Amino acid sequence: MTQVYFLYLIGCVISLLLYKQNRIAGKIGFSISAIASAYAVFYFLMNLGQTSSFSMFESLLYSPKFILNPLGNFFSFVVSLISLASSVYAIQYSQEYENKGSLAVMASMFNAFILSMLLLISSSDVFWFIIFWECMTIISAYLICFNDSKTSLKAIMIYLGIAHIGAMCITAAFLLLASQSGSLEFSSFENVTLSPIMASIIFILAFIGFGSKAGMFPMHVWLPKAHPAAPTNVSALMSGVMIKIAIFGIIKFCLWLPVMQWWGLLIIVVGAISAILGVLYALVQHDYKALLAYHSVENIGIILLGIGTGVYGIAANMPTLAAVGFLAGLYHILNHATFKGLLFLGAGSVLYSTHTKDMDALGGLARKMPLTAFAFLIGSLSITAIPPLNGFISEWFTYQGMIQGALSEYVSSRVVFTISIIALALTGALAIMCFVKVYSVIFGGVPRDQKIFQKAKEVPMTMVIGMFILVAGCVAFGLGANVVVENIMLVISSFSKTYNATNGIIVTSPIGSIVSPVLIAVVIVVSLLLPLLIVKLSKANKSKPRLTDPWACGFKYDSRMQMTASPFTGDLRRLLNWLYKSETKVIDQGYFKPVVYETHAKDVWWSYLYEPVIKLTLNTAKFVAKMQNGNVNAYSLYILLALCLFVGISYII
Amino acid sequence: MSSIFFMIIQVIAIVLVAPLFDGMARKLRAKLQSREGIPDFFQTYRDIYKLMKRARTGPNCAHWVFKTGPYTLFATGAALLAAIPITYSTNTFAGAYSDILVFIYLGALLRFIFGATSIDSGNPFAGVGGGREQIIGIFVEPVMMISLLVVILLASTTNLVEIQHMVRTGQIGYQTPAFAVASISFLWAMYVEAGRNPYDLAEAEQELQEGVLGEYSGSDFSLAHAALILKQFAMIGLFLTIFEPWNFENPFLALIGFIFKAGVFYVAAVFIDNFGPRFKILTSFKNSAIPPLIVSFIALILYVVGV
Repeated sequence: MTQVYFLYLIGCVISLLLYKQNRIAGKIGFSISAIASAYAVFYFLMNLGQTSSFSMFESLLYSPKFILNPLGNFFSFVVSLISLASSVYAIQYSQEYENKGSLAVMASMFNAFILSMLLLISSSDVFWFIIFWECMTIISAYLICFNDSKTSLKAIMIYLGIAHIGAMCITAAFLLLASQSGSLEFSSFENVTLSPIMASIIFILAFIGFGSKAGMFPMHVWLPKAHPAAPTNVSALMSGVMIKIAIFGIIKFCLWLPVMQWWGLLIIVVGAISAILGVLYALVQHDYKALLAYHSVENIGIILLGIGTGVYGIAANMPTLAAVGFLAGLYHILNHATFKGLLFLGAGSVLYSTHTKDMDALGGLARKMPLTAFAFLIGSLSITAIPPLNGFISEWFTYQGMIQGALSEYVSSRVVFTISIIALALTGALAIMCFVKVYSVIFGGVPRDQKIFQKAKEVPMTMVIGMFILVAGCVAFGLGANVVVENIMLVISSFSKTYNATNGIIVTSPIGSIVSPVLIAVVIVVSLLLPLLIVKLSKANKSKPRLTDPWACGFKYDSRMQMTASPFTGDLRRLLNWLYKSETKVIDQGYFKPVVYETHAKDVWWSYLYEPVIKLTLNTAKFVAKMQNGNVNAYSLYILLALCLFVGISYII
Repeated sequence: MSSIFFMIIQVIAIVLVAPLFDGMARKLRAKLQSREGIPDFFQTYRDIYKLMKRARTGPNCAHWVFKTGPYTLFATGAALLAAIPITYSTNTFAGAYSDILVFIYLGALLRFIFGATSIDSGNPFAGVGGGREQIIGIFVEPVMMISLLVVILLASTTNLVEIQHMVRTGQIGYQTPAFAVASISFLWAMYVEAGRNPYDLAEAEQELQEGVLGEYSGSDFSLAHAALILKQFAMIGLFLTIFEPWNFENPFLALIGFIFKAGVFYVAAVFIDNFGPRFKILTSFKNSAIPPLIVSFIALILYVVGV
């Protein structure tokens, strides 16, 4: 593992050294991170079940020691897999930013970002964990800055604000735990004895802290702002991997603490709410990158459903339930990283060649960018859990775990599990609608803006390769489900009991359901032969179709007649207007000009939960500002009063 | 392997027979409306055959998702049918494919293709129809899932073959109130998903100009049309498998029995088609979706409290 870290460090340093040669620095920096990631993918996969450690600079603060256990190996594998794809992608993509900023700095920070995540996963005490946690946050904030636009600074402020609240909660949780165990070393946390109330306080703090990074509801507000603002290779990493690191933290805490059943149920409830609200807000977005960011909220919800089931299983002393829960959660982490990385890279390609984030200005791009369209379609099918692609298998396991949970004897857990299963099913239906919209409005139909359409062309080769690495991942993690499950079981066996989850090419759940992605693929392929056979046998007329404009009831067809993103979800928006509070603007510009019709849905939680706090802070600051009047006498008075206060307090105590 | 063979057999058999029942349903509907209607039950075959011979037209903007649409639609319909344990009803190993969740997500694939092709065609009406299809899915999905969830939890498996076996041998069934209530709400969900008349917007000729299928013609249209019939049979099949699975042991007799049962359902649904009004999606459809949702919730509550 030292070699892996060292390679990223080299990438970090070398790209900085080439500061003067901007173009070359970018290419070399990202190539080094690609090589490092390729090696890392191989290394972490080979050593998945092993525990390794190294320490350096013994004399440094808290003598940094890095330990990778199987769980850490798994997360490192996920990080390096997505890093591989986005590094390869960035080699040519980063040239976009040649005139905006220094590519040397960008490549260097990109390497540092990956390195900080990997070191965070392997750090073995509180001090270094928090250090790398903050490094990860700050470096990603700087990387967002590269897209120097009007909104990016605001996005960074929101991101950092919520990250601070989160980090504060995490630090508090760690320090409370450390004070109970008497040491900052993680190894001392494993045998700590805690009172139930103390354990619950620590858990809630950690859950809020890590949850804010993961983007779970209601701390999700930064995702749709920050992820679209970042350069694509970074947003793929942020959305694909960084938010998963938070899940790593939640799992870690749940393994240290004496878990209770209601924690599992709490995680599940929050997961279900995040899933539903994430997809509902995703549906009404016009900015396709913001849409994908909202989908991260949804998928974090699905992951939390799995993890929550696992935690519940541990607490209720049901080892198979714990195993299937964690299996579902970890599998979905891998899958979501893969397809969300892919979708972000695809979205970045569209942005690269069209320079607009507004879906309603695109259309028909599949003819200009066939490879990107194909990759995006595979990503869309995966994220909507279409069998036999990877998303289906992990959702299948999530369902199986939750069904087993719903079979338990307690009414409270039955209620939570069954309602959450329904939430998951509804999420599935909504996700279909969402990805039908985003895929076909961008890539299908008639181009809405001829200028953009004429300029659009297929992206350079390394960008395509970057995407297709993840396309291969989407297919392989689906069809090779038995191999993935075996490997994840290896990870789970390091902290929990497992069950026999594979039988040849079939994967099984503890309640006895079985599914085989290979068999599904075979049936679908055979079914595809059927219509071809029918056409052949009936000697159908296969003459070349006569191509015309689409039928418009006898009127002359115009590209403005077709369906766009916002009317496609118009019915839903009207149905759920209590949630969106969307404002419709209709501007009549007279007879000869088209009417301008705009409608934008709002994330109401921002105004419900955050705006009051921000307003209160500002008002308090205004009030306090009156005290700062520049009068030295007044300041002396404050000091005197404060001293009196302290004396008074010490007297009372 | 034998189960794959049986899957193919049952799909081919249903593909061959389904248009016959469609013809019967059309004739019956015409009679109910005091029309003469089609000359005999075989008209749907002739329609499909005739369309196969016609030349095709298409929008010049569409890409391969639209062009392969009829084939993928048909294949997904066939894959849905293959997931119903009719002829391989004793082979629990086939549950690796014949799983409720596989069935639901294959249905989702069908909806995905429907939506994607409808927008890709560039046709304004198709786009509207595609959007409405999705909304219907969102209305129906919770009802369907809750009803199925009750069954899944009672059987504690998602393996359709095993569930069918359990209902047949009486391990679970109508003696449980939750199961009985769930069957009512599922019947509604199945009927809507089958795309029949009062809820049908895929083929809403009157207001949406052939809706989703707007731009298909010739052999493409005939395949897409056949795919819709297949989907209807698959949905009826799912209901029969779970709630009315009684059938012969012998695979071929079972197939004949199934086709007969499904056909009766298919034809009988004409009565609902005929006397039901067409729904507006935001008002009347929403209102008519709420009672089944309540019924399904009652089923779920019955399960949760352990009745």
